[in-house]
Amino acid sequence: MDRMEPQAFADLLRQAGDKAYNFAYRLAGNEQDARDLVQEAFARALEHAGSYDPSRAFDSWLLKILHNIFLDGARRLAYRRTVSLDAPAPVEDSSWEDILPAKDISAADELIRRESIDMVQLALERLPAHYKAAVVLCDVEGLSYDDIARIMDVPVGTIRSRIHQGRLLARKAYEELERSGGRRQ
Amino acid sequence: MNGHADGPDLSAYLDGALAPEPRARVELHMASCADCRAELDSLRHLKLALSAAPRRNMPADLALALERRFVTGAQPWYAALSRKRVWVPAGALAVAAMTVSLWLRSAATIEEIPLEPLLAAHARYSAEALVPEDNLVASNYSDQLSDLSDASESDLQ
Ligand SMILES: [Zn+2]
Repeated sequence: MDRMEPQAFADLLRQAGDKAYNFAYRLAGNEQDARDLVQEAFARALEHAGSYDPSRAFDSWLLKILHNIFLDGARRLAYRRTVSLDAPAPVEDSSWEDILPAKDISAADELIRRESIDMVQLALERLPAHYKAAVVLCDVEGLSYDDIARIMDVPVGTIRSRIHQGRLLARKAYEELERSGGRRQ
Repeated sequence: MNGHADGPDLSAYLDGALAPEPRARVELHMASCADCRAELDSLRHLKLALSAAPRRNMPADLALALERRFVTGAQPWYAALSRKRVWVPAGALAVAAMTVSLWLRSAATIEEIPLEPLLAAHARYSAEALVPEDNLVASNYSDQLSDLSDASESDLQ
């Protein structure tokens, strides 16, 4: 099957569209590659619909396919810049106010916190792909260790250590960024 | 656990991914170890900052591109969003893109999206030939609607 009924496709898109795009964007680090990843992931998912186990969540399955495509691309160095340490990382407008209402936070404190969040995001961009994927799925997507293990196709024990190592690496990168006093090195 | 708490255990504890027994062990150790409490605190701040990442939702035009590529038949998939089939003019792309965008960005269920009135109004205006079919670009559309309402106001005077 490579084409679907409108209602079925709308359901898939609603369930998995944003998740897939956000994950793709985090992995690839830019919009064009994220779009290509998502398109290719949907294409392969529909092409291999026969191997989909309906007792599993479709979104996890799609993310797994997307992750595989990303890794294939990374192996071919197509996405070399995302694993490179001198990659230019996109700086996004994070809405700290939306997350923690600033009632008790002075403007200066808030600015510092906001800059910290931006720098943590930059640190995340700099992680090697395996760690970045695990940390994104855990901390950004809020998935369980079991789901992440399924998506990344490795044992849960490996996920445990990737998430922890990823956080330690992100913290180290963050401290380096802070020491250098700038957003870019 | 000899010495301090295992690092991955601290992360798993933070993520609520630790089984009851190791969780109890970690808690017991932390009760008497300021270093591990500080490490957990540091990891918690990091996790909070990571989870504050702005989410990137799927752009509406990408959703439309996927639809064009993967949906069978001529009928646009957004028509399937409404229970009762309503006629959708072929030129409704701009309205559809707006709808897709609203829909992709909201956690609302399908029933909560006021799609039917939107499409019905659209169909009505088109059927009454108030808006030429080939001119259904969102900005033109609203311009012409406001022109129309201006016109009817001046008619009343
Ligand atoms: Zn300790």
